[in-house]
Amino acid sequence: MLSLRDVHVHIGKLHILQGVNLEVRPGESAALLGRNGVGKTTTLRAIMGLVSKSSGAIRFDEFDLSNYPAHKIPGKGIGYVPQGRGIFPNLSVLENLNIGVTGKRDTEREDYVFTCFPRLKERLKQAGNTLSGGEQQMLAIARCLMMRPKLIILDEPTEGIMPRLVSQIRREIYRIGQSGVSILLVEQNVETALKLCPNVFLMEKGAIVYSGAAHDLKGQPEIVRRYLGLSQ
Amino acid sequence: MTRRSIEIGMAVSAATFLISVPWLIPALTDNFWVSVITEILIWSLFAASANLLFGYVGLLSFGQALYFGFGMYGVALGIDHLGLSFWPAFGLGIVSAIAMALVSGVFAVRLSWHYFAIITVVFSLIFYFLAVSMKPLTGGDDGINFSLPPVFRFGGSIWSLTDPTFQYFFVLAVVSLCFFLMYRVINSPLGKGFLAIRDNDLRASLIGLNVYVLRLIAFVMAGFLAGVSGALFAFFGRYASASYMFYQVSGEAVVWTIVGGAGTMFGPLVGTTLFIVIREIVSSHWEHHSLIVGLLAILAVIFAPKGIVGLWNGWMTRLGERDAASAPPRLTLQAEP
Repeated sequence: MLSLRDVHVHIGKLHILQGVNLEVRPGESAALLGRNGVGKTTTLRAIMGLVSKSSGAIRFDEFDLSNYPAHKIPGKGIGYVPQGRGIFPNLSVLENLNIGVTGKRDTEREDYVFTCFPRLKERLKQAGNTLSGGEQQMLAIARCLMMRPKLIILDEPTEGIMPRLVSQIRREIYRIGQSGVSILLVEQNVETALKLCPNVFLMEKGAIVYSGAAHDLKGQPEIVRRYLGLSQ
Repeated sequence: MTRRSIEIGMAVSAATFLISVPWLIPALTDNFWVSVITEILIWSLFAASANLLFGYVGLLSFGQALYFGFGMYGVALGIDHLGLSFWPAFGLGIVSAIAMALVSGVFAVRLSWHYFAIITVVFSLIFYFLAVSMKPLTGGDDGINFSLPPVFRFGGSIWSLTDPTFQYFFVLAVVSLCFFLMYRVINSPLGKGFLAIRDNDLRASLIGLNVYVLRLIAFVMAGFLAGVSGALFAFFGRYASASYMFYQVSGEAVVWTIVGGAGTMFGPLVGTTLFIVIREIVSSHWEHHSLIVGLLAILAVIFAPKGIVGLWNGWMTRLGERDAASAPPRLTLQAEP
């Protein structure tokens, strides 16, 4: 489904991504883990066409994503929930949900996202900036779901969220994965990521240094300690 | 008094006032003020074009005078050089402004922030100097005068803008129609796309909005509004001049919009009214009336960053919250166990 082959990205003189290889198969949930500054967000931005790659290939289904500007990539079936939520603060909840939907209003899909996030249905006319952080994150994920994506990319979806809402967001991410949508999750909370995603990629200095099953990683404390700075 | 009743009262009062202007104003004061109100309507439409870009899409344009000028010259040259009648000349003015907005917009909307502001000024200056230098065609700063053709002919009766009452209602109808169109667009999915781009263009592109195309659509629409106002001003003054294409004219629209309330439908109308009334009252006593304009702009930016209409909306929102808090609780019937 999504594959990155030897992707290099330079920003100015800095060589940020140094040959990233990564693959997410249909219906698979994968976590991209690593310390701060190793290039996780840049990898996601490269997939979404927000930074230009110097070399390598990024493919999604049969499409070479290098040929598409950022605004055409969601139309190919990739939804992106950026770090910091990324809702539109001056639009209402309902307007936020429908802003990316082309054609007429998709009420069937609205009903689906309201079953995932019932709190949003109670706040339809409220402006985005009047929601709590957790509700904004729910709205960002719900907006993504409105576009019926095949793959959702989530960049630290539980960062800075009230603990009470974190568990609900985690539960919905799990349910989205179970519904057959592929997930690529970047998450600082390693425990959460390993619970939600059966597959893991570890990044270090702009490259993938480990890829494998989450349960295998749990049995390798040396790798976890070396690349994530955690002891198990 | 509830928020809803205040808003309905305001809307009815404003509509009644605007419809009764040709009779009410002469009864209270001088006929001259009917002409001032006509001018306010025209300039508020011009300010609305700056507001569409700045208030709804987040693009600060200092070049709207260019499309105003094209609207003016389309009418003036159409009547004076091509011998067109009223409606074809009006159409020529609007189409010229739209065409110019499309051509300059293709380049300008690739940029944002101060780069966008600069390129709009540059376009405006290029065509201003061209218009000034092509004096045989444009009349330069002195402009060209023309005689007004009639708007309608029904049998023996002729309807012309030379009749101040008819002119007022014609301008009111056209300006109201343009504001209505703008209202419909802002409340459509296209308008929500504009607001999304204003809030964050990167996020907008990440949900599949083509930021370039949406900005270009907004730019051309703003060119249309400026072109209509320029065409109306040409009919109003019976002349066109290159001096109206100078970027200072664009800057005035930006100031009126900010003071009135950028990103609000009637902010440009309120700002334009305030400044033109001040100009008319103060300028006959004191030549430096621009100082008052500057002072008001500074005060507005400091104390009412969302403009006068934004301030009003804030009061109305608080009033609405108070209404909701003081409303009696809703009774619900519960079934007997």
